[in-house]
Amino acid sequence: MPLLELREITKAFPGVLANDRVSMKLDKGEIVALLGENGAGKSTLMNVVYGLLTADDGEILVDEKHVKIKSPRHAIDLGIGMVHQHFMLVEPLTVTENIVLGREPGRFGVIDFATARQRVREISDRYSLKVDPDAKIIDLSVGMQQRVEILKALYQGARVLILDEPTAVLTPQEVTELFRVVRSLVDEGLSAVFITHKLEEVIAIADRILVMRDGAVVGETTPSATDEIGLARMMVGRDVVLSVEKGVSQCGDVVLSVNDVHIEDDRSLEAVKGVSFAICGGEILAIAGVDGNGQRELVESIVGLRRPTRGTIELKGNDITRANARASIEAGVSHIPEDRQRRGLVLEFNIAENIILGDHREPPAADHGIMHPKAIAELARKRIADYDIRTPSERVLADSLSGGNQQKVVVAREIGRNPELLVAAQPTRGLDVGAIEFVHTQIIRERDSGKAVLLVTFELEEVLSLADRILVIYEGRIVKEFAVADADAETLGYFMTGGGGSKLAEEQESKPVESSVAGGDK
Amino acid sequence: MLGDIITPDLFASAFRMATPLALAAIGGTICERSGVVNIALEGIMLVGAFAGVAVTLAFGSPWLGVVAAVLAGVAIAAIHAFTSINLRSDQVVSGTAINILALGLTGFLMEIMYGHPGTTEAIITIKPVFRFATERGSGTFFGVIWNWFNTIVLSHTPIVYGAIIIAVVAQWAMYNTRWGLHLRALGEHPRAVDTVGVSVVRGRWIAVLMSGALAGLAGANLTLEQVGSFTENMTNGRGFIALAANIFGRWTPVGSYSASLLFGFFDALQIKLQIFRGEINIPPQFFLMMPYVLTVVVLAGVVGRAVGPAAVGKPYKKG
Repeated sequence: MPLLELREITKAFPGVLANDRVSMKLDKGEIVALLGENGAGKSTLMNVVYGLLTADDGEILVDEKHVKIKSPRHAIDLGIGMVHQHFMLVEPLTVTENIVLGREPGRFGVIDFATARQRVREISDRYSLKVDPDAKIIDLSVGMQQRVEILKALYQGARVLILDEPTAVLTPQEVTELFRVVRSLVDEGLSAVFITHKLEEVIAIADRILVMRDGAVVGETTPSATDEIGLARMMVGRDVVLSVEKGVSQCGDVVLSVNDVHIEDDRSLEAVKGVSFAICGGEILAIAGVDGNGQRELVESIVGLRRPTRGTIELKGNDITRANARASIEAGVSHIPEDRQRRGLVLEFNIAENIILGDHREPPAADHGIMHPKAIAELARKRIADYDIRTPSERVLADSLSGGNQQKVVVAREIGRNPELLVAAQPTRGLDVGAIEFVHTQIIRERDSGKAVLLVTFELEEVLSLADRILVIYEGRIVKEFAVADADAETLGYFMTGGGGSKLAEEQESKPVESSVAGGDK
Repeated sequence: MLGDIITPDLFASAFRMATPLALAAIGGTICERSGVVNIALEGIMLVGAFAGVAVTLAFGSPWLGVVAAVLAGVAIAAIHAFTSINLRSDQVVSGTAINILALGLTGFLMEIMYGHPGTTEAIITIKPVFRFATERGSGTFFGVIWNWFNTIVLSHTPIVYGAIIIAVVAQWAMYNTRWGLHLRALGEHPRAVDTVGVSVVRGRWIAVLMSGALAGLAGANLTLEQVGSFTENMTNGRGFIALAANIFGRWTPVGSYSASLLFGFFDALQIKLQIFRGEINIPPQFFLMMPYVLTVVVLAGVVGRAVGPAAVGKPYKKG
């Protein structure tokens, strides 16, 4: 007997059919994974189930009874709980306050906090989800915050738990812990819908897998009946190259040379403590490191957003140490920033406007301070075609694009400018396989056309598949250099987490490595 | 001379001066905690002050005037609620429009109701709650204590006490009731409130109307307990100082009251010093300026950065 059943759910937004006659069933004690690329309609479907959106057509059955879910309150009353991708937690409030919000125990409007705390403890003991009921949300780690979200759903009496991209914000350890928690909840008789675009996760957690593409269910399978390649094919609708193919690097002249730079972070602490390296044309140099080891400051100083306190940065022999962002662009540096929504795009601008940002003073976009809308639109349409940006028109706001398409806009602008050096920071963060493949292909194409690429990422897979040469950064120093052939995930991970030790770092300091451009070609 | 300035009367005056600020500031606190900026406090206070006087002149009862002031405040606040919650317009623009409207409306009503601009006739003001003899054996130590206590604590009109009670009750309610929890959540993360099935629109409406009632009551205190008549633009920026007091008080009712008391003290001191201006040889404008300088200092964050509710000023759209 299915606990939850959806029949032919259809939901249209202006210009898009987000859900096209989608049907699914969820049994008691089952984990169903809803797999699909960003924009495939997974979240829309679950928002319909949770009462945040109303379906245009179709039926929802809970316990085999027809229901019209009008509001989240109604969904909660039916036993449906949702852990949203962006947490619905009020940061300055306590764990208890957040969990009981909307269903506070007490009389005459006065909250009985002792009872509230007691109930939170009971639930957290019963499902062994330990959390301090009096801690403020803002003081908790992301993993703990998610745990509070799950507790909130349980407190509200959820029998079905919808988890929307729950691993997007978690560290690998937290992901493992989450899987354990979800498993134990299902063992207790709950059911879960797990929304994701990550292939390895569905294989690890799901009992059944529903694959969605362009608003429709395109396949149903089980982890034992498929593998990542098969799932990727279903999800994207064609064969996907999960590993990138690339030829041998043809190293040309030195494009970027960084000499003993020291950079301070926003708190005026030294974040980069004397780093030197060079990149030649036709080479991808990856800087691998755990977040917060100085790579952000390093990137910002190369692209003209931050000034080093010491050292020099040269692009093709020109000193760009003190260049601002504009001078940096004009010198031939392009930058794919790590946060596309805050730094890569102006979300309130349309695609055409975003595509000319940084080049908006120059022909063809403008001359003598006058913009040329026609030429801009034409350029934008060309980029949209060249970079396969999925949009009805160049006048669509960046805000309304999916993450993958937003990143394509950034990539189109930065690569379309034809730079000497491309600095790419976390270029595939949060993207699905199709979009990742696209970005990787573009980066390799840049390299093959003789440009220099600086890739900064903490995704080891990405480092190993894209880079020609790898520098490991730890606590503001380069602690290790690898040719990609000599590196593997384990060794990289070892050095990234300080395995090389400060001893190695000190050696580095006393004897700055003559940055061997030659290390690039092999 | 210092003994002439630092008198019990100075502190009593501080409480009186603080009252309209505090009531409006607590209104601002409640409103902003729900996620709606209310810079219309100034205008609402002015309309409340006028309504109080008009009704008192018409019916002869200042108590009826208080009721009218509160209702008028609620009515004006409803405009702000409708534009900023339902129409999702810019809350600062809406508030500014109401301030201008209040100034014009009260001036206009003066003309048609009383046939002249400026100031209305005097009304019977609301009397202090307690009336004890001011001097009771002033020679003795206990006599002096009694005189101070009597003047500072027991000399006030009802709304002055009411403001203190409102501050304490609002503070308690904000941290112990369902209303308070929902209010605190609303201004931080309205979607979180929505997804647990609590209406954001309803919660914000209630908060805005409450701020209207409190600002209206502040106006009543000004005309019906202090001045005894209405003068055009008599609020004179108090609504804005109240907003500063709300920030200084870190968006809490008791904090707002305390900050208002500080502003009130400076206001009282300013008046007192004007009396002695011949002796201290400082232009009176300097003293007049003091509460406003304090406001600027507070808003510039000299007293430490104050962080308001995260979602304040942002219209909420469902779905």
